[in-house]
Amino acid sequence: MSNVKIKSKNLNVYYGDKQALFDVNLDLNEKEVTALIGPSGCGKSTFIRCINRMNDVIDICKVTGNIEMDGMNINDKDLDVVSLRERVGMVFQKPNPFPKSIYDNISYGPKIHGKGETKSELDQIVENSLKKSALWEEVKDRLDEPGTSLSGGQQQRLCIARAISVNPEVILMDEPCSALDPIATAKIEELIDELKKTYTIVIVTHSMAQAVRVSQKTGFFHLGKLIEVGKTEKIFKNPDNKMTQDYITGRFG
Amino acid sequence: MNIVLIFLITIFSVSLFFYGKSKTKTISIKDNIKLNALPKFYGYYLVLWCSIPALVFLLVWSLFEPVIIKSIIIETAANQGAILSDKNEANLIYEKIKAIHLGTYFGDIDSILRESAIAYAKFINLFTNSKVVLIFGIIIASVIYSLKKIKNNNKARDDVEVILKGLLFVSSLIAILTTLGIIFSLLFESIKFFSVINIFDYLFGTNWSPQRAFVRDASSITAAEFEELKDAFGFIPLIAGTSFIAFIAMLVAVPIGLFSGIYMAEYASVKVRRISKPIIEILAGIPTVVYGFFAALTVGPFFRQVVENLGLTVSSESALAAGLIMGIMIIPYVSSLSDDVINSVPQSLRDGSYAVGATKSETIKQVVIPAALPGIIGSVLLAISRAIGETMIVVMAAGLAANLTINPLESTTTITTQIVMILVGDQEFDSPKTQSAFALGLTLFIATLILNYIAQRAVKKYREKYD
Repeated sequence: MSNVKIKSKNLNVYYGDKQALFDVNLDLNEKEVTALIGPSGCGKSTFIRCINRMNDVIDICKVTGNIEMDGMNINDKDLDVVSLRERVGMVFQKPNPFPKSIYDNISYGPKIHGKGETKSELDQIVENSLKKSALWEEVKDRLDEPGTSLSGGQQQRLCIARAISVNPEVILMDEPCSALDPIATAKIEELIDELKKTYTIVIVTHSMAQAVRVSQKTGFFHLGKLIEVGKTEKIFKNPDNKMTQDYITGRFG
Repeated sequence: MNIVLIFLITIFSVSLFFYGKSKTKTISIKDNIKLNALPKFYGYYLVLWCSIPALVFLLVWSLFEPVIIKSIIIETAANQGAILSDKNEANLIYEKIKAIHLGTYFGDIDSILRESAIAYAKFINLFTNSKVVLIFGIIIASVIYSLKKIKNNNKARDDVEVILKGLLFVSSLIAILTTLGIIFSLLFESIKFFSVINIFDYLFGTNWSPQRAFVRDASSITAAEFEELKDAFGFIPLIAGTSFIAFIAMLVAVPIGLFSGIYMAEYASVKVRRISKPIIEILAGIPTVVYGFFAALTVGPFFRQVVENLGLTVSSESALAAGLIMGIMIIPYVSSLSDDVINSVPQSLRDGSYAVGATKSETIKQVVIPAALPGIIGSVLLAISRAIGETMIVVMAAGLAANLTINPLESTTTITTQIVMILVGDQEFDSPKTQSAFALGLTLFIATLILNYIAQRAVKKYREKYD
């Protein structure tokens, strides 16, 4: 059994008066892919946004309860969000490369954290990140071109490269393939398989097939509650909860 | 008379609306017919048919009536032996006749004038009567026509749409024709100006003193006078002064406007934004003449005092004071436009930046501003063209002397100010001095046109990127 990397205890999230998460207790294992599934608006994205404190961006959002990474309280008011996000990277639903060159898209993060002080160090980081995200061969001759000139799938891999450029420990993926075609999706899934050797990955997905393919552990959310969590195989073959059974067989959602 | 007619047409149309509406309703109920449109459309149909032909006729008539009467009267006066050697004299006689008719003429009235005045009164009467008769004829004819159409249960909805489309088309046509008219009048007067003054002398001359152009008739110019004129219309000091003041204004408006735009878009809470945005926009609503006397009476003297204390000489009218106040005036343009473009940078870009650990100000500086840059440049260019076209502040605060200087404490002048100076007071419209105003206007028009074009291209390019 692998180590627990992130541990949430009685995590509650409110958007204004509306409660979005109810007492979520979920452990994420190190160097494993955890998939979060559930119907739209069930709180999967809200949960992963708690891990890198992205919910801070939303004024009316309030988080209570406990969420820890390696024993460090993420929800601590005094926590340095910048260094947290250095350790926890994120990839979004829609590819969102900056309107900059491919090179600048990736060197952006390291520069902010003061990594790669010389040009050659920075070049090395960019090359490594692009190689890890399996994009290097496709773009190595046109690093000066704008990131937005790439295709959708390439853009998403660029965003993954951007996330791993600061050498995080955890990567959060919020439906990373929902805007992509099947071929690009297959590439990203392959990449996730590769990345889990180095990183702890949490992926939110609407595709059961994808969850089965990429994850070792699966959590099922419904209406802000974590209904069931367990090994992916078990969840999809033999879930304990009737609701999980109904969802994965497509009876609602 | 015209007002009474318009009033009658309006009343008649309104009552026809209700008539048409209720009539079609009762017909449809009584005869159990399915109407082709809602009853109110039949009302609109009657209103449009009753009012538009009559009003158009009235307009055309009012345009041509004076011209026709005038030519008839001048002809009768000439037939009676009045001496009309040129156009001006004919005009004078006509004005006299009109004044006699109105009872406001106090000179000697000879027999020719008296006869003509009687004829004038007769024609006015005749024209007015026939106007009234014709208008009522038109109304009756068009109402009969439209009532007949309605009886046949026409497709009033479609017809109303067609008529409205026509009306809207005519409105935009008027707007376009007016613009063209202005451009052509600028162009033709400028051509007259450039037939006297060489265009290169104008564009590259460094001396602007149009008051030297006292020559009355451009065709009878002597060589010496021509030399004199040649270097009186140098455009360089004006464009230099204009750009200089606009530059100072931009130094004020761009940083303050941009920063306040960033604050409004990125930092301000909804509540702060709701209150402060309108307050900033009030700045844009203050009449420029108010800024002008603020600049001339408060800021100018203040600078003079401050700088004199430093031991420098200053004129109380300075480019600095004018530019500064102009900059303040332009702040809302820059801030509200850049606020808009910053707001339309997608949140996903900000999220992407936060997610790699960037702080808010890093995100703004390195992601949001570069993404919004084309739009921001567009807003700045629009502000510049506003600054170049601004007149009142400069007239009051920067002075009138066309100095070619880069000392912000000296007085200087701009294109618009000179146009005002040239056209204030009595004019001779065949003097190069007056015509130079049109040349300046044309130059200014072309300059702002180019700036606006570039600005709109920049804004458009930005829009395409994210939509």
